[in-house]
Amino acid sequence: MPRPEVMARIPVDDEYFLFRSCVASSKYPGMESSTKDVFEKIGVALRESDDQTCCAGFITFTSVAEVTATMPAVARNLSIPDEAGLNTVTMCNGCYTFLTEFGHFLQNNPAILGKVNEMLKMVGREYTGESQVLHMIDVLPKLQDRIAKQIVRPLKGLRIATHYGCHYLYGFKKDAIDDPFTPTVVEDLLEVAGATPVDYPEARTCCGSGLTQVVIHKEELSLPHMKAKFDSLKEAEVDAIVVVCPYCLTILDRGQAKMVDRGIADYEVPVLYITQLLGLAMGIDPVKLGLGANITSAQKFLDKLERLEKSRSTADAARGGAPKRPEEKTTDDQEAANA
Amino acid sequence: MSKVQTKRLRRELYPKLRELTFGFVSDLEKCMQCGKCVGICPAAAVTTYNSRRMIHDIKSGNLQEVIESEELWSCFFCSACYASCPQDINFPFTVAMLRYASLYAGYGAEYVKKIIPYAQDYYARGLTVLQPEKNPLVLARRKANSGTSGDMGDIREQIGMPRERKVSDEALAEVQFISDVSGMTKLMERMLKTDDAAPKTRQRIEKVETVKTREGKFAGFPEEQENA
Repeated sequence: MPRPEVMARIPVDDEYFLFRSCVASSKYPGMESSTKDVFEKIGVALRESDDQTCCAGFITFTSVAEVTATMPAVARNLSIPDEAGLNTVTMCNGCYTFLTEFGHFLQNNPAILGKVNEMLKMVGREYTGESQVLHMIDVLPKLQDRIAKQIVRPLKGLRIATHYGCHYLYGFKKDAIDDPFTPTVVEDLLEVAGATPVDYPEARTCCGSGLTQVVIHKEELSLPHMKAKFDSLKEAEVDAIVVVCPYCLTILDRGQAKMVDRGIADYEVPVLYITQLLGLAMGIDPVKLGLGANITSAQKFLDKLERLEKSRSTADAARGGAPKRPEEKTTDDQEAANA
Repeated sequence: MSKVQTKRLRRELYPKLRELTFGFVSDLEKCMQCGKCVGICPAAAVTTYNSRRMIHDIKSGNLQEVIESEELWSCFFCSACYASCPQDINFPFTVAMLRYASLYAGYGAEYVKKIIPYAQDYYARGLTVLQPEKNPLVLARRKANSGTSGDMGDIREQIGMPRERKVSDEALAEVQFISDVSGMTKLMERMLKTDDAAPKTRQRIEKVETVKTREGKFAGFPEEQENA
């Protein structure tokens, strides 16, 4: 259940600053394009800036850059929305953690903030901290009603699992929008899109990669996590898994291909970003949503959606083409799911 | 923990820790060794990493053991330990800081060196992850799934985006300036020069002078009373 007190302090603006993720831009551009399309549909403008760089979280958490180097980098990136007077929406758990954590630190340590600003002044910028940093799943639940109005292609009968990722809910156990161990925000959004949220035993299990396991450590350490997670997903018979972080998407998407390639697994569960799924339900073309960039093909998922739609429309035609009333939908869904 | 012990920790351990960890010190004395963090830790599930033991080692003054250990590099900052901690100890943050201490004491360069190319990309292009893809498996699958050549530029074009995300020249100059002035560029160079085969120095932590000299280098982190 989303926390009412946190929901209350999330601002609903006409325009946000979109903090682009470098993983999304460079490996899964569909995340970025679907975010822009979905926000356009619900009437919220997003502003971007080419002055925004990577959040530098990756190199900080792997100890390459010291905090002394990354604090001014964070302040520099946040000075852009500050100057524009906009609140920031991040697409990535990592960007959110990094910007928020260091933003708070600077706000609470005026001495350091002064020094950081001294450095920024040399490049003509200033960090005031007036604007808020928000996560995608902070903003979308607030706009749930507007999203519901745009759903033209409900994902009825599709069983979808969620993966929240560690860095948002765990790292902000008191300030995040939902409880770290029993979150439901994304499930609520799935219901708005007409899909069936599915729970599975390993739902809170990390994707197995984190920052360092893939690059630094041997994969023997991270693959067991992924295997456990996907075994449990397979048992739950899901059609797709929805994530809220580009890094989770990368790892889950590529990890499966890796496991299949090595012969330790035989399944493929399409991985989608939350706005890609909402965009699909809003009737946006799957090609435009960038699902083609996924390594694990989403075709099976799209095919099932089409099949279900077709069987529903044949059922309608048999009944004389009369549009269904909402009360009758549930039983039809059961039949369609069983078919 | 008795009041006397807590006081002793605050007086003796924290000044030492602060030197190593840039002034970021978590409330480790609050740890009651319940072990919830180990139970939920994904790294503990597959390695010898044990946050409870590490906190115990640090509290009993056995910092050297933690800093030399390989397990210090197993954490990947999922923060599940923090989320489950009844005392709200942000241990991942402590781990991040202990890693710097470990690097200055001459350990762990092999884990950091592999990330240097990403940092170089950040320095040169403003982005840590860039478009070029080497993995043949990824390229082949992407080609089949998207119906394009599999190249990221083509895929971006297919969905109506510019072929490449660019960071403005001004932003690049600013990032490079910050990196140079704050010592990140130098640190990268030094890491690249570290020889993997070189025998590891078994210095005592008390003798690590580099940390002291670096403290005041850029920002000069606040004293304890300012942090509290």
